[in-house]
Amino acid sequence: MILKVENIAKAFGKNKVLKNVSFEMNSSSLYGIVGENGSGKSTLLKIIVGEWNPDHGNISVAGRIGYCPQKTLLFSQLTIDEHFRYFAAAYGIEKKALFSQSESLMDYFNFKKYRKERIANLSGGTQQKISLSIALLHKPDLLILDEPYNGFDWDTYVRFWDYTNQLRKAGCAMLIVAHLLTEKDRFDRVFNLEQGQLI
Amino acid sequence: MNAKRIITGLSMILKMLFRRRIILISLVVIPVAFLSGVELTASPKMILFRLASLNEKIFLEESQKGIALVFFAVASTGFLVSFLALNLIQIDNDVNRRLVICGYHPFELLISNLFSLLLMIMSIALYIGLLINAFVPIKHLPMFIFGLTLIGFVYGCYGLTIGSLIKGKLEGILLIFLLANIDVGWLQNPMYYAEAHNNIIIRYLPAYFPSQSAIIAAFTDYSVANAAFYSILIGSGFLTLSMFIFYH
Repeated sequence: MILKVENIAKAFGKNKVLKNVSFEMNSSSLYGIVGENGSGKSTLLKIIVGEWNPDHGNISVAGRIGYCPQKTLLFSQLTIDEHFRYFAAAYGIEKKALFSQSESLMDYFNFKKYRKERIANLSGGTQQKISLSIALLHKPDLLILDEPYNGFDWDTYVRFWDYTNQLRKAGCAMLIVAHLLTEKDRFDRVFNLEQGQLI
Repeated sequence: MNAKRIITGLSMILKMLFRRRIILISLVVIPVAFLSGVELTASPKMILFRLASLNEKIFLEESQKGIALVFFAVASTGFLVSFLALNLIQIDNDVNRRLVICGYHPFELLISNLFSLLLMIMSIALYIGLLINAFVPIKHLPMFIFGLTLIGFVYGCYGLTIGSLIKGKLEGILLIFLLANIDVGWLQNPMYYAEAHNNIIIRYLPAYFPSQSAIIAAFTDYSVANAAFYSILIGSGFLTLSMFIFYH
């Protein structure tokens, strides 16, 4: 088992966003979570990756997490290459591995030509690709994606699924959160987050 | 603690700071605006004044322009550094949180930020100190630059405290400029201080000790050790407070 979520609860004031949410994921599995705006999807992901603490409940993760947040969290004044270097330091990736992985991601998602450009000068779609690539940089065992393909064009959307299929074959589990999931047959399981509970 | 992460963080933070146009413009415009204002308006008339941290019977005689130039060097250092510190702690806070999720320890990022701030303080103090020395002869230039570094340290840590406490950019800038304007930009002026009715209040403001260090070094042969010690103490107090707020 790569992820175990047990009885997670979270409230903001009187608003109980999550009520005893539990589920488990194994290697190579692909789960989806859908729900209306404000249903608590992003809150659940932030708790799983450790950004927020739950009011009660436990999370166990066996392996490295790659997390792509809903908002493209990037430094507007740094270039793509500098982002890879900065996040590689965070992940503890050596120079040689960083070079091969970043080159392959830039080639695959087709943004190598912008590598020396500052983020502030790039389109929203390219920023989204970079944000996703940062989550993939250290070859995670569990990939957690919050609305990952917002802003992708069709070609990038297809490449995204091709890449994630390769990752799954290599054993990576994936949890995707979206307000709307198309192609549900790609998923092993799709939960609906309603009134703070997974259905 | 990983030295490689701290060095990477330091180099990225400095790149981001120097790539912001407002920072570069402030570095050039603020000292030039302050000093040009003095150069164009202050008179060369010699005046008697006293320094708060020296014996009450000690009076110094300097030109009004010289005193104003030294005072505004202190003021512009305080303004600049507090603004930089606010920028450092407020901007890209969400992305820093992503770095922490990816493996950075918050303390490593904090040390990178503090090193960046210290480097900026020393560069600004050196730049403004040398600039002032071209207009008015400074008695002990290295100690004067050290005094400017101290005002940078105190006001830099004040900027960090405000940045940790206040999330809004405009509100943060307002609070920084409010105190900097009243304290380092007005009440610590030796010409004002000498005539003040109630100087107890002035002695308890954060810029009191560091501005005394700089002005003593600029015009006298007296020791700045006492003023320097209390400056470091006040700066460290603000630093501790800012870290406490930042983590809670």
